Amino acid sequence: MDTVSLIPANEQQLGQSLIDTGRVIIDVEDKASLERIQAHIVDSAVSVLNCPMPDDAQTFLNTIHERICVEDLNDFRLRVYRAINEQSWLRPAYYALVSNALHTLIGNELAMQNRVNLSIQLPQDDSSLLPIHSDVWSGDSPYEAVVWLPLVNCFGRKSMYLAPPVANQALHDRLDEFADKTSDDLFYAIEKEAEFLKVDFGQIVIFNQALVHGNRINTVNETRWSMNCRFKGLTTPYADKRLGEFFSPITMRPMTRLGMAYKMHEGFPDE
Amino acid sequence: MNKRKYGFRGYIGSRAYDGISTPQHIQNQVIRDFCKTHQQTFLLSATEYAIPGCYIMLNTVVAELPKLNGMVMYSITMMPKNAAFRQRIYKAVQANAASLHFALENISAHASADFTALEDHITLNRVMEIPTVLKQP
Repeated sequence: MDTVSLIPANEQQLGQSLIDTGRVIIDVEDKASLERIQAHIVDSAVSVLNCPMPDDAQTFLNTIHERICVEDLNDFRLRVYRAINEQSWLRPAYYALVSNALHTLIGNELAMQNRVNLSIQLPQDDSSLLPIHSDVWSGDSPYEAVVWLPLVNCFGRKSMYLAPPVANQALHDRLDEFADKTSDDLFYAIEKEAEFLKVDFGQIVIFNQALVHGNRINTVNETRWSMNCRFKGLTTPYADKRLGEFFSPITMRPMTRLGMAYKMHEGFPDE
Repeated sequence: MNKRKYGFRGYIGSRAYDGISTPQHIQNQVIRDFCKTHQQTFLLSATEYAIPGCYIMLNTVVAELPKLNGMVMYSITMMPKNAAFRQRIYKAVQANAASLHFALENISAHASADFTALEDHITLNRVMEIPTVLKQP
């Protein structure tokens, strides 16, 4: 029996889109959670910078490079990152942004990354780029998906890029040819095919992190703010990023609990 | 021309080195502490690919040295086994007036004498692997 045929047509369509393009871009499922996350990020940034509360969150975030220099960026980012990750509501809110889509693409029994990452990319900053990589090359399991949330409108070189599956496979097949090269050379090999994602605030990306991705110098005169977090099937294989240290269960189902608790009777004498 | 130098770039691994695998956030924490002690800006670490024998990210950091004060590897065990490769790294560090550091072992190399001592350290570690060879009949 072909089990795929039991998946409803609309879910098959979303799944096929992930397989074909490596990503899906959808509207967030819970706008209140999105606004809460963005508002807290703005509050934290205002607190760190000791500046007045802005009237417009997107304008404030887009122009943060007018208030902070490259040298202070990582310390600033870490302070905002810690402030948002201290909030117990963050992970439930982040999950609520895409819970239905995740159930369709991964399953309804999930593990979620313990901390939600925060990226800030100032215009023209070449000091904090994320070089081309597949997360699987960096210790992640190929069963994980990344949920990437822009806090401002992202487009062109302000955004992240992702290699489509065909280009990714071609690069993968000849990776050893790059033994003496740099990650820039890897990028140039897929530059023509790389897709810089156009994602507006209010939308969210779920992508296959086994595909190579990263960012380049942001040539748009606006700062990118984005968050990312990994999700995977709770009982799918883990790699270097393990349960507890990196992931934790968020939707363990009763039958899994019952199965884990079951113990076969041990009382008979050996044969 | 006065080139702009940013700070220390971290370099961490995502595979086991000498049989030891350390969680990436621990590697980063050790490097961050090292940078703090040496009063240098910590730049987000480059993470070497997990593929055995791959040093593409190390090549990338070496290529970035003109813009860096230095590179901080998590551990000396992450240095390539190929001696000629290591010499290329030392030359690049010196040519760019940068420095090379190993956070776990708290070892730093700036000048030629430092790199000679560093090679002694690495070679000694390799020699310690010889007993497995001696076991061969």
